[in-house]
Amino acid sequence: MTVTAEPRPGAAAPGSGRTRRPRRRFVPATAGHYLIWIVTLVVVVGPVVPITLASFWSTPLYRSGGHLTLGNFRDLLTDPAWWSAVGNSAAFAALTTVSSVLFGVGAAVLLTRTNVPFRRLFAGVLILPVMLPGLVLIVGWMAMWAPSGYVSSWLEINTVLWFPVDLYTLPGMALVATTVAAPTVFLFCRTTVLAIDPALEDAARSAGAHPLRALVSVTVPLLRPAVLNSALLVFAVSFEVLGLPLILGFSNDITFVSTYLYDNWINAAPPNQGLVSAGAVFLLLCVSGLLVLRNRLVGDVSRYTTVTGKATGTRVVDLGPVRWPLAAVFATVLGVLVVVPLAGVVMSAFTSILTPYITPWSVLTTANFAAIAGNPIWSESIVNSLLIAGVGGLLATAAIAVVSVVAHRSAFRFRGSLQQAVVWPRMMPGLVTGMAFFWSFAILDPSGAVRGSLWGIGLAFAVRSLALGYGVFYPALAAIGEDLDRAARTSGATWWQASVSVVLRLSAPAMAACFVLLFVSMLNDADPAVFLVTDRTPVMGLTMLQLAATSTGGAVAAFGVIQMVITLAVLAAGRIFLGVRAHA
Amino acid sequence: MPDLTLTKVAKSFGVNVVLHDLDLHVRDGELFTLLGPSGCGKSTTLWSIAGLHSPDRGTIAFGDRVVFDGGRIDVAPERRNCGVVFQSYAVWPHLSVHDNVAYPLKLRKERRPARAARVREVLELVELAHLEHRYPHELSGGQQQRVALARALAYPPDLLLLDEPFSNLDAKLRERAREWLRALQQRIGVTTVFVTHDQDEALSMSDRIMVMDQGRVRQVGTPEEIYQEPADVFVADFVGTVNVLPGRAAPGANGTAQVWLDGLGLPLVVPAGAGLDGDVRLTVRPERIVVHPSSGAPADAVNVVTVKVRSRAFLGDHYRYVADLGERELVVRTLAPVDHGSELIVELPPDAIRVFGPA
Repeated sequence: MTVTAEPRPGAAAPGSGRTRRPRRRFVPATAGHYLIWIVTLVVVVGPVVPITLASFWSTPLYRSGGHLTLGNFRDLLTDPAWWSAVGNSAAFAALTTVSSVLFGVGAAVLLTRTNVPFRRLFAGVLILPVMLPGLVLIVGWMAMWAPSGYVSSWLEINTVLWFPVDLYTLPGMALVATTVAAPTVFLFCRTTVLAIDPALEDAARSAGAHPLRALVSVTVPLLRPAVLNSALLVFAVSFEVLGLPLILGFSNDITFVSTYLYDNWINAAPPNQGLVSAGAVFLLLCVSGLLVLRNRLVGDVSRYTTVTGKATGTRVVDLGPVRWPLAAVFATVLGVLVVVPLAGVVMSAFTSILTPYITPWSVLTTANFAAIAGNPIWSESIVNSLLIAGVGGLLATAAIAVVSVVAHRSAFRFRGSLQQAVVWPRMMPGLVTGMAFFWSFAILDPSGAVRGSLWGIGLAFAVRSLALGYGVFYPALAAIGEDLDRAARTSGATWWQASVSVVLRLSAPAMAACFVLLFVSMLNDADPAVFLVTDRTPVMGLTMLQLAATSTGGAVAAFGVIQMVITLAVLAAGRIFLGVRAHA
Repeated sequence: MPDLTLTKVAKSFGVNVVLHDLDLHVRDGELFTLLGPSGCGKSTTLWSIAGLHSPDRGTIAFGDRVVFDGGRIDVAPERRNCGVVFQSYAVWPHLSVHDNVAYPLKLRKERRPARAARVREVLELVELAHLEHRYPHELSGGQQQRVALARALAYPPDLLLLDEPFSNLDAKLRERAREWLRALQQRIGVTTVFVTHDQDEALSMSDRIMVMDQGRVRQVGTPEEIYQEPADVFVADFVGTVNVLPGRAAPGANGTAQVWLDGLGLPLVVPAGAGLDGDVRLTVRPERIVVHPSSGAPADAVNVVTVKVRSRAFLGDHYRYVADLGERELVVRTLAPVDHGSELIVELPPDAIRVFGPA
């Protein structure tokens, strides 16, 4: 044994505080964990209970009396209108999925791995619809490509061309939806394409494959999980979409599942609350089933795991002269799908009437914006949405951060269920979330104090955005080595101290990114508000949706411009100051 | 400074048993190394001591303070007062060198002047005082490792735990860091548990080594004992290079035994206790094999064999020959090349041969 006579460094300095151990905390970390767990479950999963109850109850839950019944489901399942709505929704979702997968995968491979000219510009335009509020694009499509729209009429009057799709039919709606859905597929696949080790293709090339052959035979098959994953997501989201059929399905009376529920609640007197609850439960089961199916199918992911060695840049495959016609195709398609509709929103917002027979310059006006400012409900809805997005976004970000840290960085017994709970609202269609909260408030808060305030809508929006925020926050959290908090623990920090001073401190940039995305999402959200909104609590997304469903005027477009400007400004600020990517 | 005692510590992950009733005693002030291949349970042992993993059973005591006892006592890691240096160093990137080292002192409510003095003292100890205000990304790997060490020594700890601290350093730096750390540990006399899979590290630094395999202790001893008197073939093979030669033994004259190897005409004479009989395995370190010139071995040499050379490799400071000994392969190590054709005359001195039971 070799201990020298030299004093230990600790013994050298005076003061006895040195050997003191950290003080014991009175409240053990686990109590905090349990509290967070219970609150999360109550807020996220809890609301499903009353909606399920409502679907099996003969009278609305806020009224006394009533009894258990299957009547609501019998009414629903024997209603031919319901079944035609299901058929329409399924056909629409299938069409949207097929077209967005074809377009999204093609674009992902061509725009990241080949030398198509202007590919960065094309990629930027392609993903624009993901960042913008969905309604803005629909309004633009109507203004430009509807049978009486500006560009489609102009084409017929001045050229031999015409726009081949009627927007007010199922294929027309699917085309509009593809504009939003294709970028989702694109982003999923592009991430995978970029992550694939170029050495895999190099191996194919050294085995004798032509560059394009290597791309098609190695990289494209490796995309399977990403394609499947995004396709099922697109299908599930398309199946529950409300805004699109409400606005475009109206004239030809095409009912979707979502509009069926909407009509039976808003336009029926008295509202068929039991029937709608049963429909919502049905919708929830379908969408949840699809997303569970997705997790199963994607399964066996390890087959597609590519081990990455040294980081090397992605290689670009030379397409030769073919790249120019390809670029022309991209320019045309993106022009029709994205650029023209967005221009349409701006043009309608700043003109009193938009028609090819009058030059827009002669009818320029700011009257549409003045109308919004002059209408108390309209202007109030903008203020309300900013409040919900700002305050709600902050609180939701904090909640996501704390819940994620408990779920991933603690020894808490039920941390697994917390991880599930955060992702679970993603399976809930927006309409169902709204109705679930409606019934929860009806039972827990009969006075209507919460439901009648912005807190109620804010809570529903926040729960709906949990999965989005978690999706941004979790990768950053996972990238923080666990040794860092272990080191804090062994240095004498309690679990909470280590979490606050190391883990949360290091994930601050991710929290900022999370806030930006939650802000945008909550600012523009509409669906859950359908059942929660009151005269005193209008929100921008829903006000615009209801306006768009009943009129095509410039006021809707002006709303769209306002929404678009706020959204892009916040995203740009996030990008510049925080390096946030809207499609993380 | 307390000693460390682990008694019957067991841990399984599902059906996979990581530790089989491990017993371990580290003496006060000792540098004790856990050595073994990856997955042998050495890191699990270290983390159980630190409190970052809870074993299923057993007790862990620092001196007479029991920090873990079955399900009844499980002192949280922050209350065990261990200094841990992680393989990744785990230096907090958002804090300067000074703040990294000061963090444990802040948690212990050390007052500011005393804290600053102590941080300076520890940083001087690890020769980083001049980099106090730098941030981790401005430091080299070796410097980060020393920050981690300074942080672990700051309070000061009852036990220093090192988890493969050199594995991220390059070869040259690693050698220097080893000597430096060993000298520092001896100077401050902190009881230290060191985890590594590198036998050179273990042999050169430790007071004692525990060789582990698949959650079991194979041998505990000083570096010399581990290398020269391995308890079994696993230890002999894992620590250093060794030739393992299976054969059949029969009693010989004068307390020796004779061992026949497959395909070898003459038996080897090995030292043996009473009644060595049946299947055995012999081990011989390559550097203990004597190579004789082509003119032949001296008359009194025993176990002289002529072997056929299969390959020769030059490794800078020595040559490595692989030859056929009967049906087995024999690795021989020499300082100078011994080139006489395709055959070598080698002598396996009986005192260089160790005898173990069959596999």
